[in-house]
Amino acid sequence: MILKIIGCSHHQSSVEVRERLAFNPQQTFRFLRKFYDAYPQSEVVLLSTCNRTELYAAGQSHDLMPSTEEMELFLADSCGVQHSEINDFLFEHANEQAVRHLFAVAASLDSMVIGEAQILSQVKQAYRQAADLNQPMPLTHHVFQAAIRVAKRVASETEIHVNRVSIPSIAVGVFARQIFERLDNKQILVIGAGKMADETLKYIQGEGGRDFVVVNRTREAAVRLAEKFNGRVADWDALSDQVQNADLIVSTTGASQPVVSLQMYQQIERGRLQRPLFVLDLAMPRDFEPSIGECLNVYLYTIDDLQQECDRNRNARVGEWPKAQKILDQETERFMRELSLRSKGPTIQRLKQQAQQIKDIELDRLMKRLGEVNPQQQKEIEASFHRIINKLLHPPLESLKDEAETGTTGLLDALKKLFQLGD
Amino acid sequence: MNWLYGISITCFAASYLVAFCLELTRVFFRAPLRKYLINGVILAGFFAHTTYLVLQTQMQLAGTGLFMGSWSGWCFGAAWLLIVAYLWIRYRQPQTLSGLFVLPMVICLIGAGTWLGPELSFPSARARTVWNAVHGLSLLVGTATVILGFVFGTMYLLQSSRLKKKRPPSRLVRYPSLEWLQETSEMLLLVSTVLLGVGLLSGILVNVINQKIGRGVLPWNDPVIISSAILFVWLLISLLFNLVYRPARQGRKVAYLVLTSFLFLVVEFAIVLYAGHATREPELQGRGVTEAPAALCASQLPACREAG
Repeated sequence: MILKIIGCSHHQSSVEVRERLAFNPQQTFRFLRKFYDAYPQSEVVLLSTCNRTELYAAGQSHDLMPSTEEMELFLADSCGVQHSEINDFLFEHANEQAVRHLFAVAASLDSMVIGEAQILSQVKQAYRQAADLNQPMPLTHHVFQAAIRVAKRVASETEIHVNRVSIPSIAVGVFARQIFERLDNKQILVIGAGKMADETLKYIQGEGGRDFVVVNRTREAAVRLAEKFNGRVADWDALSDQVQNADLIVSTTGASQPVVSLQMYQQIERGRLQRPLFVLDLAMPRDFEPSIGECLNVYLYTIDDLQQECDRNRNARVGEWPKAQKILDQETERFMRELSLRSKGPTIQRLKQQAQQIKDIELDRLMKRLGEVNPQQQKEIEASFHRIINKLLHPPLESLKDEAETGTTGLLDALKKLFQLGD
Repeated sequence: MNWLYGISITCFAASYLVAFCLELTRVFFRAPLRKYLINGVILAGFFAHTTYLVLQTQMQLAGTGLFMGSWSGWCFGAAWLLIVAYLWIRYRQPQTLSGLFVLPMVICLIGAGTWLGPELSFPSARARTVWNAVHGLSLLVGTATVILGFVFGTMYLLQSSRLKKKRPPSRLVRYPSLEWLQETSEMLLLVSTVLLGVGLLSGILVNVINQKIGRGVLPWNDPVIISSAILFVWLLISLLFNLVYRPARQGRKVAYLVLTSFLFLVVEFAIVLYAGHATREPELQGRGVTEAPAALCASQLPACREAG
């Protein structure tokens, strides 16, 4: 049984290269269909995320599946790029290395942010898409199920997934939650309409936030962002009124000077009736004057404050790495042992069948020669033949099982040749 | 079921102490089974505590007709109410470290109850009336509410300070959110004001009734009545301030209100004990003071007083 992987990830390639090799779900389906048409006796899974595109192929032997180069050419052709353009950015793994790689990917140990949990659902999704084509895929089924099991084991036995590591998720999931019990009844003001605002709003929405007001110097950008999150737009001139009404403020402008000064805040402070205000100043340079953080019931967090927490959490995750790696090693070894045992199964079956055939032929010949034999004697003769076969086969079968533990195939190959069992 | 009579104060006090120690370890390291251990220990302590109070009550009702007829029993009752609150908090906010704040109050109340002993008991004839029962119960529950308010107010101030100083959050334990602490403190302020108000008014009613039937009454300038009135007025002002002046509902103001209420309560309790309120027969109009009754239950209850 052979397993091969080729692909590219954030480790080897830039986002520009990965973009050219990315597949959406419809494209993935067409790719898999085309692959099965070209290599009907192979098994295939395609994993495509924002940080990697990986092609997993499996088969009973090298003859029945494409070579690594053929896989690369197939991938390049499907993406409409020249092989030479992407060749330097592709990696390849086979057999044990391929298994280890898949396990690491599923357990988020190969992710850009170690411990991010999204990758497992992406791996499951990739497998499901391949399975939906209803092609026989015993090896890929076995290895992907094992990968999911490994991911769950890493999640439960280590703390590699605990604690958030992205700034918006920490800001909302950790700090906002320490101030507010619920976000669905809070007014959320977004100053600026860039990528960071977009990402932060996703987390706020995920935590229950509903009432968004977007303020931006360029109204069009504010409208686009507000529409995406079912929010409202306010004029830039109404910024101080919006600050007065807000419970949570996310500020991400590219302004070179603070957009909310202490003086402005003090003018509207009375109108706030001392309601707690959580300000996420994610801009660089800062949008809020730092002295605003000294005001009563104002909790002002900048990107530096959040970055410290990010780094702390990342280091904590990295600290869990040895434990996770140990699990990975154990599970890879276990999988390869099981695979080795499974691969010997057909050969053992053939050997037993061959021995049974010989026994049946010789027993039949003997019975004809002996003529009249009473049932008791016949039974004894059959039992003897059966014992002979079992005793002869027992030592080689036990040796094969022992070899399966080591993952080698020397004895298996010798057995096939000695008994002419074929491949 | 005779073994239930062997349940002593040590049984539940030790359980709560063990639970507190386990809660403390949450600050230092993770342990997957610890949650179940804490639940087990607390429930065992709660069972022992409940059994103890029930049996005490049964015996008292059989003898003197009093429900928790001493300051000692009163402290154990207040501790029991706090444990009920703690169990509710563990259910609603299991990740938070509320146990580190509630359990010390419980242990202190049990300690106070043990120290006071059953000798400081309430005269049965006087205490065994409906209005006295209302007076005692409302003050008991009101006291527990004020203590809880103090706990949440303290947590609010600590959490607010941590957030202001931008201290990194602990990975192992966390506080309830400021919003939750504020809303809960407000609710407790309201409930404690109502209960202590009922307690004060029922106490006044008891005095009026006793005056009419010719029993001994507390003079209206008795320190207990005055301090109780001051405590109630303070709570009422806090409540009205909280309801009418919106900034008072926000941030630390609520926390300061409940903390101050607790301080008033402590002073009030000290005055009550010093004055021997409820444990001495008050003066009859124009007559001498009657002697305090002997301890009601010490010889009757097998586990009434802890050895050593």
